[in-house]
Amino acid sequence: MSALQIRNLQHKYALTEVLSNINLDLAAGETLALVGPSGCGKSTLLHIIAGLLIPSEALIKNDFRGTACMFQEPRLLPWKTAEDNITLGLKALHVPKLARRQQAQNIAKSLGLTADDLNKYPHELSGGMQSRIALGRALIIKPDLLLLDEPFSALDIGLKLELYRLLRQHITERGSSVLMITHDLMEAVRLADRIVMMIPEPGRLIGEFTLQQSHAERSETWIYQTTAKLMANDRIRIGFGLAEGSLNLTEHLHTQHSGCSI
Amino acid sequence: MNRLRNLLPNTLSYLWSGWGALASLLLFCAVWELVGEYYGDLILPGPLEVIGQLKLMFNSGIAGPELIISGRRTLYGLSLALAVGSLLGMLAGFSMTTSMLARPLITLLLGMPPIAWLVLAMLWFGLGDATPVFTVFIACLPIVFAGAMQGTRTLDNHLKAVAQVYRLPWHMRLTDIYLPHLASYLFPAWITALGTSWKVVVMAELLSTSDGIGAALAVSRAQLDTSSTLAWVVAVLGVLLAIEYLLLEPIKRHLERWRVGVSQ
Repeated sequence: MSALQIRNLQHKYALTEVLSNINLDLAAGETLALVGPSGCGKSTLLHIIAGLLIPSEALIKNDFRGTACMFQEPRLLPWKTAEDNITLGLKALHVPKLARRQQAQNIAKSLGLTADDLNKYPHELSGGMQSRIALGRALIIKPDLLLLDEPFSALDIGLKLELYRLLRQHITERGSSVLMITHDLMEAVRLADRIVMMIPEPGRLIGEFTLQQSHAERSETWIYQTTAKLMANDRIRIGFGLAEGSLNLTEHLHTQHSGCSI
Repeated sequence: MNRLRNLLPNTLSYLWSGWGALASLLLFCAVWELVGEYYGDLILPGPLEVIGQLKLMFNSGIAGPELIISGRRTLYGLSLALAVGSLLGMLAGFSMTTSMLARPLITLLLGMPPIAWLVLAMLWFGLGDATPVFTVFIACLPIVFAGAMQGTRTLDNHLKAVAQVYRLPWHMRLTDIYLPHLASYLFPAWITALGTSWKVVVMAELLSTSDGIGAALAVSRAQLDTSSTLAWVVAVLGVLLAIEYLLLEPIKRHLERWRVGVSQ
């Protein structure tokens, strides 16, 4: 039983069709990575799921209760301290101030933020710190569904790995579902249970790959090897424009796990 | 606690920054004195004489009541303009259509000379309190309206998306997203409106009432009393400077303490 079902989703900006016949399922507790080249409509699809955009046409069934989103940029409110930024979602849920503060301190500790950092304004913090706060803001409301719009793409590799670890830890503890979009295959291999490939003009889903290795057993070597295997796959090569050729698009992704397994 | 700890150094550094303003004002007084000495007391009395005259006016009980009368009129007209202008400007800013409709009207209202409003107000309300109050209101309204509308329109769409994703209720969107952003547009507009309000109230009183600073200026003009005239001007400017630097500027600094390089 999937918690998010999307059928026949189409979306147009004026006369330009940006998403065409999208069918997607996301099960509870599953991490799904949507990969594809820039401009293929990944963000548009994510914004539709987040409720920021209304699609031109679609059947969407969403059973997830709490949804949080991390954007490409931290998008912190510049006039609020780190603590008030982290607890923004809790305040919207009418959690009393003392409880908010307590939870902010707990999550700050797990994110590697000091009490002093919590009193600072975003402009006083480095880019990495701001990303941690954005992650804290998303995790603190304990969402059932976490939407990630390439939030780690601008970070250095050390910080990326640390945030991946924090994210995976949260997913394991909470059993949240994650829908992440990325153009970095290795990031997808590292974090996801399933990878869906998307191509542009108009945005379509053209194949999916299930990663059966459990997260605990994913070593760096396995991640590199799997990424290399995926990079050699025709659909991915053609989708990213690395190889010439056409894709057979008659097959729709109605059923879950219909693609190749790795 | 942290904010409390920062209060004292912030206040001191604000007061310290006042030395620059004070030096600039004193330099102006020096030039005034120089020109005054060249032209003589009848044309341009020096700053010391004017301040002496102002002190005399306060001591004899002339200045106080007149200032209070003008201040009251300014306060009514300005508060009304700030409230109505900020609210309507924000509402107009929420929608593209109303902003487009409002823009030419603002240009029209900003371009209309206050003296024309004054003549109309005299015809509509006669020679009472309502005339200066209305003129101040109508002269300040478009300034505040434009500031509020511009502020609302320029809020980053990214932050609006954050508000939507985290399901902020309407009152939180207002207090946590819109108002802090709006403040940096509203405050300069309010300060401009404050300056305009004093100018307009004095002008309105000069032509339409028998009390207030404007009326007192009319009397000193009739008596060819340059030092009294300048004393009134100094009184008006003094009140203006006090309101801006002792009230509005500290509030602005407090609200915008999150900006780079301000106070913290």
